[in-house]
Amino acid sequence: MAQKQAAKNNKSQLLLPQALWQKIGANYLLTNDSGHYAWLKEKDFALVTAGKMAEKDPLFAELAAKGFIRNRLDFNDLAAKWKKKNAYLYYGPGLHILVMTLRCGNKCLYCQSAAAGLGAKHTDMPLAVARKSVDLAFNSPNPGITIEFQGGEPLLNWEVLKNTVLYARKKARIAGKDLKLALVSNFSLMTVEKAEFLLKQEVSICTSLDGPKALHDKNRVSSSGSSYDDTIKWIKFFQARHDKQVPEYRVFKPSALLTVSRYSLSGHKEIIDEYVGMGLEDIFIRPLAPIGYAWRLWDKIGYDAKDFSIFYLKSLDYILKLNQRGVVIREKMASMMLDKIVNFRDPGYLDARCPCGAAIGQLAYNYNGDIYTCDEGRMVGWEGNDLFRIGNVFTDSYKKVMNSATTKVCVVSSNLEAQPVCARCAYKPYCGVCPVYNYETQGSLWGNMPANDRCGLFKGIFKALFMLLKNPEKAAILKKWVAK
Amino acid sequence: MKTNKGAKEIFLDAGIYSGEAVKLAAFVFSDKADIRIVPGKNVFKISVRAENAERAAGEFLNEVLNQQCRIDLAKKNSKIAGIIVTKALLSAAGEK
Repeated sequence: MAQKQAAKNNKSQLLLPQALWQKIGANYLLTNDSGHYAWLKEKDFALVTAGKMAEKDPLFAELAAKGFIRNRLDFNDLAAKWKKKNAYLYYGPGLHILVMTLRCGNKCLYCQSAAAGLGAKHTDMPLAVARKSVDLAFNSPNPGITIEFQGGEPLLNWEVLKNTVLYARKKARIAGKDLKLALVSNFSLMTVEKAEFLLKQEVSICTSLDGPKALHDKNRVSSSGSSYDDTIKWIKFFQARHDKQVPEYRVFKPSALLTVSRYSLSGHKEIIDEYVGMGLEDIFIRPLAPIGYAWRLWDKIGYDAKDFSIFYLKSLDYILKLNQRGVVIREKMASMMLDKIVNFRDPGYLDARCPCGAAIGQLAYNYNGDIYTCDEGRMVGWEGNDLFRIGNVFTDSYKKVMNSATTKVCVVSSNLEAQPVCARCAYKPYCGVCPVYNYETQGSLWGNMPANDRCGLFKGIFKALFMLLKNPEKAAILKKWVAK
Repeated sequence: MKTNKGAKEIFLDAGIYSGEAVKLAAFVFSDKADIRIVPGKNVFKISVRAENAERAAGEFLNEVLNQQCRIDLAKKNSKIAGIIVTKALLSAAGEK
């Protein structure tokens, strides 16, 4: 009897601790909360789950080291990896988006921020609002603050933007915080004078580039000619300044954001070649979010997750081929997922955190001082639904904003431990859900994952990445993307 | 399921689905369909009235299942879920 009990105990000691798995093809992908993963053949998976894997089996040591054998858990190592991957849980919001104006000269097909016309000056952020927003941002306990100037086209409110940059720099010196400043602009109003100021203040520059001229201009309709021409001119300018560098200040490499509309789906090679041709080393292939204004135009410009997945996988394949030929180009979404998978590191991708970055990772400040959980939440507000508004810079303190019911419900509803399907998904250690997306597409903050397009899309990307990591040559390229 | 002039009747076993899950699903569907819930003995009689009642009823059933799974999961995972949420909110608010 005693012998039987000992045997039973021994078997249970070899069983899997808390682990997640997914059958992909003939093999099983095994993951755990620390972020470790392992591929198992069907027979090995059966042995592991039954607690029958022999200690002399060559796989045993690997599984033990990765936290998949119950009596061999190195809690210090596993906890350290979990903490590193989830470091954001300890800091509060680092990203603060200031919407300098809703005005914009472009009429992009999918404009999520539903830009106002050039005459709508009442949508410019007054200096008092900008300063109050910066004050509130600096109340975040996060030692690193990023202030991102957005619009509309933020350069339309240049004097306030300029003043806010100087004000934020001064605040950072007094507070002893690390401050990063970023501008998202279509460059239609960029001048050498403005560019010099931004460079000297170490403001990183990001623009939108949707691909070759014909596609870019079709997506991003400009009232004053070609939006592509402005974009290219200034990407080249900032690239040249980056390559030159100066001793007085750091010049960051400019970056560009790609928005994929229905018109983009047939041209992945041309789009990627355009980025490579511009000397851009990262391309962020992200789907169009059916949020706010874009939701209303979905029939015209939208697509389903399956179409985007095909586009994404073709793009990733092409990017890897370019890498094999020595071209430096990385896909940003893959890089951010890989940083978690390979390095156990939080890449700062707020959309794929658990809980999501709404309010606790980022705040969006509208031109009138209203504070939203995120930029997507602000877009929903612009469409007339202020569910994601969590305060105003003049009437609410930072603590009140963080303690608002909306902040809490976004955190609770995006916690994967409380999400059916997600809680048992093999990709849970690396993934995150978006309450705003869920609300807009499925009518509730929680969403319903089996029918959720974003979930389907993320699963497709994770599956592709894990399959690529099985291939030594491709794994070496992918790991290089996140080696720093 | 019985069809009746743009409406679909569904019967759900109250031993499997809780009233909370059915009501939460009805709330999620409040802008997509008219949902009437009549609790009976061990059963919920539900009427789904919508433009495409057949489809709406199917989607409603999926949502009831989703809500029930969420309620069941919350009972099982509430401790770890609570720790994560508490840590995230306290850190963000600047509390240790």
